[in-house]
Parts: sequence; structure tokens; C-alpha cells
Amino acid sequence: MKYRLTHRTLYHYAHHVGIGLHFMHLLPRARPGQLVHAATLVILPKPADRVDEQDHFGNRTSLIAQMSAHKSLDVVLHAEIEVSLPRAPEPEASMAWEETSKAAFRAPEAAEFRYPSALASPDEAIALYAAQHFPPGQPIMVGLLSLMAGIHADMAYRPGVTAVSTTAIEALKTRAGVCQDYAHLMIACLRALDLPARYVSGYLRTYPPPGETARRGADQSHAWIGAWLGPHDGWVDFDPTNNLVVHDEHVTLAWGRDFGDVSPLRGVILGGGRHSLTVEVDLQPINEEESRDAAYVSGDSGI
Amino acid sequence: MDDILPCDEMIDHAGHIRAPWRPVLDVMMSLGTAELGARKAALDRQARFNAPFGAIAPGRYDPLPVPLTEFEFAGLEASVRQRATLLGALVEDIYDRQTLLDDGTVSPDLVFPNPGFLRSLRNGSPLASPRLGLYGVDVIRLPEGGFQIVADHTGAVPGLGHALAIRRFAAGVLPELFRGVTLMSQRPAVDSWQDYLHGLAGYRPVAVLASPPGTVAGGDPVDCALLARAIGAMLLEPGDLAVRGGLVQLKTLGGLVPVPVLIRRLTGQHIDPLEMGGKPGGGISGLLGALRAHRLIMLNAPGSAIVEAPGFAALLPHLARQILGQELMLGYGPADGRESRVPLAGIDRRANGLDHAPLTMRLFAWHDGHGWQVLPGGLGFARLPDGGMLMKDIWVMEASEPRQITGARAAEPPPRSNSLAAIGLPSRVADNLFWLGRAVERLEWAARLMMLALPRLTSGTSLPREAAELGLLGRCLAHAKLIPRELGGKFSSGRLLRSALARRRRLGSLAAEVARLLTASSERLSPSMLATVESSLETTRAAIALDEETAVPSVLGFAACFAGIAAENMSRGGGWLFLEMGRRLERAENASESLAILLDGPEERLQPGLGLGIALADSVLSYELSYAGVIAPAPVLDMLIADASNPRGLYFQCAALYDVLQRLDAVDDALEAKRLMEEARSMGARLPLPGQDSLPLRLTVLADRLRGLSDQIERRFFTLLPVAHQMDEDEQASLDMPKVLAAWESKRA
Repeated sequence: MKYRLTHRTLYHYAHHVGIGLHFMHLLPRARPGQLVHAATLVILPKPADRVDEQDHFGNRTSLIAQMSAHKSLDVVLHAEIEVSLPRAPEPEASMAWEETSKAAFRAPEAAEFRYPSALASPDEAIALYAAQHFPPGQPIMVGLLSLMAGIHADMAYRPGVTAVSTTAIEALKTRAGVCQDYAHLMIACLRALDLPARYVSGYLRTYPPPGETARRGADQSHAWIGAWLGPHDGWVDFDPTNNLVVHDEHVTLAWGRDFGDVSPLRGVILGGGRHSLTVEVDLQPINEEESRDAAYVSGDSGI
Repeated sequence: MDDILPCDEMIDHAGHIRAPWRPVLDVMMSLGTAELGARKAALDRQARFNAPFGAIAPGRYDPLPVPLTEFEFAGLEASVRQRATLLGALVEDIYDRQTLLDDGTVSPDLVFPNPGFLRSLRNGSPLASPRLGLYGVDVIRLPEGGFQIVADHTGAVPGLGHALAIRRFAAGVLPELFRGVTLMSQRPAVDSWQDYLHGLAGYRPVAVLASPPGTVAGGDPVDCALLARAIGAMLLEPGDLAVRGGLVQLKTLGGLVPVPVLIRRLTGQHIDPLEMGGKPGGGISGLLGALRAHRLIMLNAPGSAIVEAPGFAALLPHLARQILGQELMLGYGPADGRESRVPLAGIDRRANGLDHAPLTMRLFAWHDGHGWQVLPGGLGFARLPDGGMLMKDIWVMEASEPRQITGARAAEPPPRSNSLAAIGLPSRVADNLFWLGRAVERLEWAARLMMLALPRLTSGTSLPREAAELGLLGRCLAHAKLIPRELGGKFSSGRLLRSALARRRRLGSLAAEVARLLTASSERLSPSMLATVESSLETTRAAIALDEETAVPSVLGFAACFAGIAAENMSRGGGWLFLEMGRRLERAENASESLAILLDGPEERLQPGLGLGIALADSVLSYELSYAGVIAPAPVLDMLIADASNPRGLYFQCAALYDVLQRLDAVDDALEAKRLMEEARSMGARLPLPGQDSLPLRLTVLADRLRGLSDQIERRFFTLLPVAHQMDEDEQASLDMPKVLAAWESKRA
């Protein structure tokens, strides 16, 4: 599936910002099954300095410096991306989860993701919660589907009850939150079993509710998880918020141990006072675009 | 002297005195325990007067060295070189290709869960300079002979400053020791490192980056300062630096100056708040980007401390074979109480009367572009039973006949000139000195007011003149915040004012502020100046704590001491100018504001105020001599406001400000000071004619203009130091789920 993606992040400051330094994870990465045909980041005001790099996880980062006074910061990503992640293995045919755990220790691409991280580390409650889905000898894919369904059923989707700094442990206690919390919880569950799991940030294709027209900019950032199924099957992504295995309706931006590794936009600024933030995301399949174009209405979506 | 017991470090396993100890032992025997103890106390004093900040706590140094033979050192040197090479290679691999992780040599358990593994500095390429450039290693001598390593220091390497300074301190107090021995000089090694560092920096400044003194994570500020001095580097804090144009730059009075080489003495965990979070003041935002872009060299790179974990030490024998094709020369393990004992100078009180203690030796090495150089010597740590440490110099004795006298003398040639003089004063230092000048003056002013007020608050007569004085004093005291504002009215009783004065305890808080700023400015005051001022301040604060009223003369004594030091001991360059500005501004503001109060009244009732004004300006004697004591408005105003020769007069302060601002090339501000001088001169010339602004009004306006000038000075010189803040990470990934789910469901259906 081929998509055209626009992601706009707009800060308005009450007072002038004299100097602003920003560190961003806003350019989508390539991965097996995801081709990035084009991706540009347009930043206004134009930064005095901009360095694009790759981080430890292979994500694309941008470090920018704004040196003249400004009252807004406008960062817009335009990208064309083609996604078709490999199909997940047949559940019953996947490796036993204990074997996966053992193999992960020596697998360079997976070993790092077995360890707890600041936002996604297990405690006893999480370990107990996870264990029910992974009886001894359980094929890992079966366990993962069961765990994902469990989290989807047990958590209530409720924006506003958690924050970006909410941990998996807190999410399990609250049993409510947003996609980030679903993801952290599922990652922590897998890590409790010494299974590698990573946090994936990106976008999800959405459909207008029945009877409504699509609104441009109404899509939003999303987060899900990647789990490692062994040297043969590699990484497969799961979206616990929607209880589905990721295939071609999720566009990957970046991944890391948890949200902290892929925070889209961090900044240290001088001045500015209070600020307001507007985020608009628009993800459209390219071949469908013409037919829907006529129906677009512009819309803001704060969070 | 048979009270000196032999111990392991001094005696070999065959019971013989080790050769390098003979000259040391000779001196110990001839001096005896009591004299050695006295020399140790002398070392404390020496260190206190020579160390920056004047802050070396007593009892940290021991003058008796730990002598090693040239042969012993050669073995250690080779081992340290080998180890530094291996650890350096290990750090590079962990942060670059991770081949040792991939081939299973290094367990993922050692790297990934380690909080010291800084992913931000792993981006698939080496940095501009090796990540490990400075190395410290702790070694013990084993009972069975030979040495063993007990700890590696690959992050912020502590102790090097002391190691480079202790010999100079000790040489002054135990000259006997240095007479008969030839030590391997540390100078060539240090010089070549210094040359290398300054070359790396392109002859721009090299700096030691430390936490501000007094912060929890601050480590040992004295050690950092001694290191900076030893290698001709600046001593900076994160707040002094900012990343601009991709470079790490020092904020100086003259603008931004790039600092291309930093020796890191604080933890790497929060060094870049932009990428790592945490308070922006605790690090330098954008620093990691500068490192990755090869625009900065840091010794050691953040994250290099990861290989200090003992798990890595266990891999070194294998790595030595794999990388160097050699056997590892020195083993590693915990000390387990097997350290050799080393004699202490005299009997240490904290050592429970012991005269020896277990010894760990820290050796230092640095990479000078060609290879690892090991400092001939190092720092010995004698562990006291209370957990404290005594630091000792480590000597490497030259076996061959002396080619020259290399024993360190107090008169050892000074390090070659460094680039400090060429660099502007860091804005932080100027800011602190400015406020120190203000704080001392404010304290003195409060004491002068109290000295003037106290006798007048007790007299208790109902003479109109005394009542008028009381009213004026009440207003002055309230204005100086020595009593609550509501008591500054005209009709408060002396007793009431006095008890309010006692309750407010203003002198104590003013003196505390002076102490704080003194500490903050200490790096720009010579140790002897600092010691003098601090001891005077200590005495004064003790007196204040006892009783503020009786402490007044002591406060004035401190102020005189401070002024004398500033006048007679400070060079009139950068730092002094800011101290002077602060003092003059504060004094001018205080003088104009109190005169505005004292002269507030019709001309025929000005007598009491004029009298108080003369007393407050400490000009009673001059006035009597000049005018035979007859108080008349014109001569009093001339003396207090317009007289260019009265160091407490208003004109004098404005003229001093003008001089300083001119020297700092602050043209507009100097012009304003010039206008203030003219205003003071015209005010003192005569009483205003009817219809003109009254004198108190003009004085109030003058005080306002002085405050305006102060703001302007702050903006001009210190605004490079605004406080940055983190933007909230408030873009939480979320979807409007009910809508999305409905859509998914409809799609599935």
C-alpha cells in the first residue's frame, strides 16, 4: 500500500523565543517491508543550523537550532511511503517462546530489547499478567495474539488519564490510557518473559466513520509494538490498541526501547512563555486520493 | 625512634627495608613522630593557602610519600599502558561497530541494561578523538609481592588535580625529604600532554568542565581547579557554555568564544538536557550533537565510564590475547583487605592513634596522540578507619645518578603561560563579583546605620532634636529593611525600634549572602586573599550570631578588610572592575536614598538630618576640621554630594563608575555616569531656589537613575546567561479511538 503522509507540528508561543534547540524524530525510517520514496521536513522559521543523522536504533533524527526571535515553530513532514510488512507466521508453526528468549540473547538485532527501560519495565504484577498467556511450550505467536487480545480487552481507551511519562506499571494499575500506554504495557509483559519487544511510533490509516466524509488532518500519531519471533521470523508488529497484527495500514516512523527513545520533538528554548501546540496528521493511500479529494474539509486536531 | 613501626609497603617479604624507603625512613627517624605531626599540620596550612577556593579541608594530605623504584614503576607503567589500550578499544567497539557484542565476547548483559551506555553517542562512527583519552587506575601491592588492579576510572577521572599539586605542597613542609633523592620528574609528561591538548584545541581554550561547587554531583571542586591550573586550562561550569553555530562556546563579557576541548569532570548521564532530559542548567544543550559532528573533543567522551564495570575487567585477559597478542600483565580483583600498610606522618587522630593505614595507589595515563603516557607518580590513598582518606604523593625514584636536580621544589618553574589572559572573563564570574561588591557594601551600610542608630535609640529624652533624629533614623532603617516598613513612621519610640532591629536579624542574612557570593567568586581571588577575607567574615558571622548589636564593629572591620584587600591585592583588570562597579553602585544608591530622607524638610529644620548625614558618611572629623563643627547646609551638602575627594560622597561614586565603565568600553553607560556626576555636582553647589525641584526629589530621581544604570549594566554584560527551559513533551501519541474503532468495525463488517 502506498501512502502520502503529511504531519504538521505547530507551536505558538506567548512571547518571543530567542533561541530554540530542537531534537526531532520526525523523518520516517525504512525497514523491511517499508520503502520511503520521499520524505522532507520543512521547518519555519528556517533554522540557522540543521543536522540530520541516524541514531543508535537506525532512526532518522534532526537536530535544529533557531537563533533569531520567533513566536511560532512550524515543522511539516511530507512523505511518500510504501508499506507491506511481511505476513506473520502461522501461530501454531512459530517457535516455542522459551526458545525465542534463548535465541534472542545472542541475536544482535534483538538482544537489546529484552531489557527493561524507563517506561517499559516489568514488575511482579506485570510478570503475573504476562505469564497467563505464555504457558510452557506455547508457540510464541499464539502467546502474542493472546496477550494482545487480553490487553485490548482489559484496558480502556481513555485520553487524558495518562501522560507521556506514564510507565507500563502505572498503566496496568490504571487499566486505561492511550496507544502509548497499551504499547508500553505489552512491551513490559514480553520483557518480563525475557522476550525482546520494541516500541514503534508511526501512523495508522483511518477510515471515516460510516456516513461521514474524511477530514484532512484528522489522523494522528500512533504507537504499537514490535516483537521478535526468532531468527527465522524476525520482527512482527502488533497493535494492542486495535488488537491487530500490523501489515500494510501502519506507517512506521521510528522505534526504540520505549517512547523516550523516539520522542517526536524535544526542545530547550530561551523565552517563549506559555505555548500552544497543534498537530495535524494526514495519511492517504495514493491511489484513492483523487476520489476523496473533493470531500476534504480542513480540520485541526489538538490533543 | 622506635615508635615507628615497620609495615608492608616499606618492608619487603624478606623483612628488608625496600630501597626507596631508606631516605624516607631516615627523615622519619630523625624528625620523630611529634615533629612529623607538626609537619603534617603545616602541610594542611600550605595546601589551604595554595589551593583554589581555599577549600581544602584539613587532614586530606599526608606529607610522607609512597616511594616506588624505577623498576617497579616501569612494570606498572607497561601494565597501565596495556590496560588503557584495551579499555580504549573496548569503549570504541561498544560505541561503534559492536563486533565484540556480535561475536559474543561481550555479553549483552554488560552493555544494554547498563545506564552508562549512552545510546545518543552511538551513531555508527568514531568521534573526533578517542573516547578514552584520560585514564586512572587503582592498584594495590599484594602481600605475596607484585601488584593488582582494583578499579578502573574511564569516565570523569578523579584525583589528577591533587596528584599534580601535592608534591609542590609537600616540598615546602618536608624539605629534608627532597634533599637526598632524585625523583623522576612529572613535568615532561604533563608538558607534552598540555601541548597536545592545546594543539587539539587549535590554541583556543581548553577547559575543565566541573559541576558548580556545592552541588551534590559536584565531586571535588578543588581537584578540578588544581587540574585546570596544572595544565593551563580554564575551569568552567555547564552554565558558562552554550552550543551556538554547532560549536560549544564560552559566554564571556566580550561575547562568545569557542572552547574546542573539554576535560569532563561531571557525569555524562545528564550532560545534554536537549537529548537526555533533565534541567537545562545541569548540562549543555546540544553538546552531544557537537561531539557527533566532530566539533568538540571531550576527555573522556560521555558514556566511556561504562567499561568501569567489573564485568569488563574479566574480559581483558581474553581481549589482550585477541587484540594485542599479549598476556594481560596485571590481574584484577577486589582488594579484600589485602592492601599493603603505609606509614602516616605522625599519629592521626582519625586513625585511632594508628601510625599506618592500608594503601591504594591511583596511577594516571593520558593519550597524547601517539600513545598512552603514564604519569611517573600518582596519588596514594591511605584509608582511615573512619572511612576518610589521606592523600599521599607517589614517588618514582630514579636509580641512576641524578642528571640534574629534579626533586620538586617550591620554586619549580611555573607552567608555561596559558591562554587565560587572552580570554574575556566568563560572564558568570563577572556577575558574581558584581553582586559580591554590592552585598559587601549593603552589609557595611546596614552596620553603619545601626552604629548611628543604636546609641540614639537608648537615650530616651524628649528633646525635639532627638525626636527628630529618631524619626529620620526610623525611616532610614525601614528603607534599608533593617526594621519592618510600618515602624519607619515618625513617631515610633526608640525602644520599639531597637527591639524590632534585634528581631529582624538583618546583619545575619546579609552576611550569609556575602558568604555565598564569596564562595561563588572564589576562583578569582587568590588563596591568601580568600583566606584573609574568609577568616574575617567567619569571625564577623560568629559575632553576629551571638548578638547583632555588639557585632557592628566587627562587621565594619570585615568591610574594611574586604575593601583593603580589593584595593591593595587585586589587579585592576576584569574581575576587579565588576567588584568595583557593584560597590560603587550600591554605595551611591544608599547614599542618595538616605540623603533624600535626611534632607526631607524645610531648610530651617534640616540640622538633625545634616548631622546624621555627616555621621553616616563617616565624615564628622573632616567636617569639624574644615568647618569648625558649625553645621550649615551649604558646606554639608558640598561634602556629602559634590566633593570629589570624599570617598563616601555621591560624586565620588559616580566618578568611579564613570572610570570603570570607560575602561570596559561601555560608552553609553559611561555617558550616563558622567551625567550623574554633573547632577551630583550641581546638587551640592547650592540649595534649590524656590520653584526648582527640591533636593530630596532630585536625590530620589538620582537613585532611580542609578538603578536604571545598574539594569543597563546587567543587560550589557550578563544577559548571555538567561535560563533555558525544556519544552514539554506533550505530543502524546494517541488516536481518537471511538471514531477509529467504529471505522474499523464498519470496515470489517
